[in-house]
Amino acid sequence: MSDIALATDQARIAARMAAPDAAKHELVLKSSEFRKGREAGWRELERLVRQIERRGVRSLSLDDLQQLPILYRAALSSLSVARSIALDRNLLLYLENLALRAYFAVYATRANPIDGLRDFFVRDLPAAVRAARWHILIAAAALLVGVAAGFILTAYDEAWFSSLMPSELAGGRGPASTAADLRAKELFAPWPGAAAAFGIFANVLFSHNTLVGLMCFGLGLAAGVPTLMLTVYQGLSLGAFIALHFNRGLTVDCLGWVSIHGTTELGAVILLAAGGLVIADKILFPGRYARLENLALHGRQAAQMAVGAILMLFVAGILEGGFRQLVQSTPARFAIGLGMAALWLVYFSCCGRRARP
Amino acid sequence: MSAVHDVSGRNSPPGAPPPGRARAVQVFEESRRQKREIVTPEGVPITVEVADYGERLTAFVIDFAIWTLLTFAVYLPIFALIGATHASLIAIAIALFLGFLVRNLYFIYFELAWQGATPGKRVIGLRVIDRRGGPLTASAVIARNLTREIEMFIPLGILLQSGRSSGGAIDWSELSLGVWLLFFAALPVINRDRMRGGDLIAGTMVIALPRRALSSDLVERTVAFAFTPQQLQVYGAFELQVLEELLRRPLNAATPQVLDEVCDKICRKIGWSEPVPRGDVLTFLRDFYTAERAYLEREQLFGKIKADKYAQPAGSA
Repeated sequence: MSDIALATDQARIAARMAAPDAAKHELVLKSSEFRKGREAGWRELERLVRQIERRGVRSLSLDDLQQLPILYRAALSSLSVARSIALDRNLLLYLENLALRAYFAVYATRANPIDGLRDFFVRDLPAAVRAARWHILIAAAALLVGVAAGFILTAYDEAWFSSLMPSELAGGRGPASTAADLRAKELFAPWPGAAAAFGIFANVLFSHNTLVGLMCFGLGLAAGVPTLMLTVYQGLSLGAFIALHFNRGLTVDCLGWVSIHGTTELGAVILLAAGGLVIADKILFPGRYARLENLALHGRQAAQMAVGAILMLFVAGILEGGFRQLVQSTPARFAIGLGMAALWLVYFSCCGRRARP
Repeated sequence: MSAVHDVSGRNSPPGAPPPGRARAVQVFEESRRQKREIVTPEGVPITVEVADYGERLTAFVIDFAIWTLLTFAVYLPIFALIGATHASLIAIAIALFLGFLVRNLYFIYFELAWQGATPGKRVIGLRVIDRRGGPLTASAVIARNLTREIEMFIPLGILLQSGRSSGGAIDWSELSLGVWLLFFAALPVINRDRMRGGDLIAGTMVIALPRRALSSDLVERTVAFAFTPQQLQVYGAFELQVLEELLRRPLNAATPQVLDEVCDKICRKIGWSEPVPRGDVLTFLRDFYTAERAYLEREQLFGKIKADKYAQPAGSA
């Protein structure tokens, strides 16, 4: 196509050179003739691109839609030719700008937002979590070590409780609490009402645990050691909490009370820590890339895991605020907690394994 | 298939004082944005301009205003429903939570539906693109927006909630949150592609996409003045484009004087002996532009590219 156009240019130049009445000083510029032959196509493409930018690609008529890729390729070839034959700055800038805008119009993603969101939650997120299974195992192990250590220390000497549990989380609990206290004010306290429950729910997102989880994630940048330390630390306070109840013969009720939202919340904590470990992994073992480049290349996986963790924190908030005090029986709490854990496991390990349609 | 390159100083010829970015910015009133190159699947490199920190901040402020209003619109009925009887902590928690929901749906919806532009970005003329020139995927958009929560809003929310409780002593977790916030706010300034944390992680980049217009061709005319090749080889492409810029500028009161000065300068430089009548200055300049461009473009076709007046034509050495 451009061959024909070039031939037309040559013919036009030859015709003007040969014209008998050509003034002595008339100059014929190749770039000028080139522009004359193609300008209509550029203007047409500009019109289409402006319409797409304003009202979306759906507003184009069928004919326009067919013209778009043809005009786009013609504009790209014009740009290449103009760069080699023309010194008109305005023309070069215009063509480059037009080609770029047309490029975005032609190669833009056509997926609508709903499809995009569904695709993310059905495929990309579980795939990212599956790819990090070793990091998740390490993070879970660190958390378990913390729980075990906190439990053993506090079970033998309850003085440890106040040093392992941040005071704002202890909420008045401590070595002085009696079994009856814990039962009435905590484990089987009445439901506080809808508004307060919603407050608790929203609070989970901005709570101490979320903060520590985020720090776990972010400190992956520091080669992962702080991530593991913080994960162990989170386990310590949970272990201390369980030990306090263990010493008062409330182990089963306590585990039920924690598990209803805890399986989800701890899952989120583990996922955040594992995301931090993925970051650390990409920085420590960059393979064939520069460290930061490798992080940028694989960082999307870590970010997707953090997104999954935020989702889980949401659900944990609903469970903690809405259901924990509403469901007053320990077996039912266990059923919900373990059911949620099973749901997450199935979601992350099985969802979206089939090939894309 | 596609890649991004650094193109600063792409056109500078070796061995000569290059036109230089500073000079181009000054003469052409060009933007100071960083430039990168993406290569289309057809193999043609196209230059893109990386959006400035200020532009992105402005776009964000516009978006911020919109989603804050939206959040309030949703929040007021709920607030009226639960009444003012409850503790303010709960009210703050509800507001934070609604804000979380509204702003994320807002950013993700618009960046997906409007091909990488929120209303704020659209007003300023910015656009999110894939850093390697591919299509912008939904997972990249979701990742770059939810990372904003981790960078900024969740730490801010925690600070807002715990702010009232602490006394005079230094609270280490608050201090670390402050450092965290500062780091992520400064991140776009300290990397060349002006990426914030979310861009870095999602593999995206924000570019400025201005619209340029095509003006009429300056050479479409019959010339009255004739120049010899010796006179035309004095200048190079840079000077030609400066002259183009001058001729394309809208006329104002100062224009005749500037044109006179430029005309005198050119006459002296190329050794034009006859005086140019004052009324013919514009004609002279346009003719000179036409002849110069015809000469330089013809030389360029033969591979003799002259970037500016300091450069020796590549073929003559």
